[in-house]
Amino acid sequence: MVIQYKCPNCGSDMAFDSDSGKLSCPNCGRQDDIETFPEENIQRKFDPEEAKEYHCENCGAVILTEANTAATHCSFCGSPVVLADRLTGDLAPAKVIPFTISKDEAIAAFRKWTKNGRLTPSGFMNGDRIKKMTGMYVPFWLYDIGGQAEVAAVATRVHQYQRGDTIYTETDFYDVHREIDLSYLKVPADASEKMDDELMDKLEPYDYGELKDFRMPYLAGFLAEKYDYDDEALFSRVESKIVPYIDAYINTTISGYSTVSFTNKRIQANKSNVYYTLFPVWMVYYDFENKEHTFAMNGQTGKVVGRPPISRAKVFAWFTGIAASAFAVMKAVSYAVGGVLW
Amino acid sequence: MKIPGVKTLAALFMLLFFISIGGVAVSAATDQHIMDNAGLLTESEIAELEAFAAEHSREEGADFLFLTTADTNGQAIEPYMADFFDQWAAENNQENAVLLTIDMGSREVYLAGFGTAEARLDDSRVDMVLDRIVPYLRTGDYGGAFRETVATSSRYMEYKPGVNPESIFLKTWFHLAVSLLLGGLVVGSMLFNAGGRVTTTPSTYVDHDRTRVRSEMDRFRNKTVSRRRVPQNKGGGGGFGGGGTSAGGRSYSGGGRSF
Ligand SMILES: [Zn+2]
Ligand SMILES: [Zn+2]
Repeated sequence: MVIQYKCPNCGSDMAFDSDSGKLSCPNCGRQDDIETFPEENIQRKFDPEEAKEYHCENCGAVILTEANTAATHCSFCGSPVVLADRLTGDLAPAKVIPFTISKDEAIAAFRKWTKNGRLTPSGFMNGDRIKKMTGMYVPFWLYDIGGQAEVAAVATRVHQYQRGDTIYTETDFYDVHREIDLSYLKVPADASEKMDDELMDKLEPYDYGELKDFRMPYLAGFLAEKYDYDDEALFSRVESKIVPYIDAYINTTISGYSTVSFTNKRIQANKSNVYYTLFPVWMVYYDFENKEHTFAMNGQTGKVVGRPPISRAKVFAWFTGIAASAFAVMKAVSYAVGGVLW
Repeated sequence: MKIPGVKTLAALFMLLFFISIGGVAVSAATDQHIMDNAGLLTESEIAELEAFAAEHSREEGADFLFLTTADTNGQAIEPYMADFFDQWAAENNQENAVLLTIDMGSREVYLAGFGTAEARLDDSRVDMVLDRIVPYLRTGDYGGAFRETVATSSRYMEYKPGVNPESIFLKTWFHLAVSLLLGGLVVGSMLFNAGGRVTTTPSTYVDHDRTRVRSEMDRFRNKTVSRRRVPQNKGGGGGFGGGGTSAGGRSYSGGGRSF
């Protein structure tokens, strides 16, 4: 992997100066510490010798892997893939969360998950129809986001008291104002077009304690999809993801009132850092009643997501069971309290 | 251990038999439940209501009585009905009764519960029965008022004393609605979560060190005050009473209205 440090002033490639122990720019003479060098000016590229790129002619997927791993079939559609002459997307990831769940563990975890499906048809619960399991690194952008929020609201506090035979309801109005500093770290958004966004969101959270600087050997034996969207294109998706988080935080800062109505809410969020990161995902292709169901498993935590088939009979059984027992309990309680069954 | 002899068992059986017979005998002590002194009902109405009252009296172990009068000889309706009951109780040797009294002179009605009915048809239940029968009285359907009194009172008397028999929590339709709602909610959330749940929260990615309130202000601006009267308990339609004790020392629950 080739790492290039682009000079923040002029954009030239900086070189490591062993005398000063710093990065220095041959063009403008700027010097920087390597530890504190800004992430956005570091460019990582695959060395053409160490990585291979495959193309699927059926669905258009672009798959990357390290030089010694051979890919034969597309992880998405199963069609044969062809080796590209050279790397087209040569940007290398900055970070990776390695697989901690092996294929055998993933199969066992998936079987266990299918058994816990209380609404799935009993045939499905055998969990023995796994057609194919592919370990795949899915490209994500992780955003560090900083921002400010400024909100104004009118809040009320209502209390009642009694004097003589009159009840007074007093409503106190308050002007509420908050200025808030916001910071969110490594909010992920999947950069793959083929991966369902909702499915990928449900795979979260990953444990960032295991987040490593990317090294080529992590790819050995696994495939990585090439990203389809760059960090600029995905920022709006991440924004829409954190706005509810910000709203929730703002609400926690205004407490002790009966009602709060916002008169002004200004939220401003900017990305301060972006990391091209690979997350481990097991894709499970499962046959049931002549239909293929696709599930995804978090390759770090084992969490499984994906729509299982639903048995109408089981839905009905659960519904009637719960409703009937609730009815019986309420009847028993009302008999104990009121002395009458009907 | 001693096995009880046939004689003991027979005696026990006889005792039980007489207790059960006795219970029925006491509750059906009278064959006249309707004293229509004001002549508000027809012969066929009386016959039909007598049968209805007799059946419910047997079931509840308390007699449902209906007294009507054209005037009370200057007495208020409550002491008038209490005096009547003192006399009736002595003549019929029966203390448990629900008595509906109508005075056409003052156009007032009074409903009272004596004996076991004092607790089983307490003041608040009397009030609820009155709410239901006053519309009948206003339209002149006195037979309907008594029928409603018997039906509703005996229904209320099935409930434990002190419980509000019209409470929504005791209604079957409410139990049914809650059960269906609960079943729908639980199964609905199972269905919703079958494909995996979102387990990230607003604080998953927050940087606690640098997310903070920089400045805050909560300033009192103004207040509004609204007033309303403490709601009065009933009273509408000339309600009165609330139980008492008769001249003969019989305590009762009760309540009355004008109509
Ligand atoms: Zn430079
Ligand atoms: Zn394909």
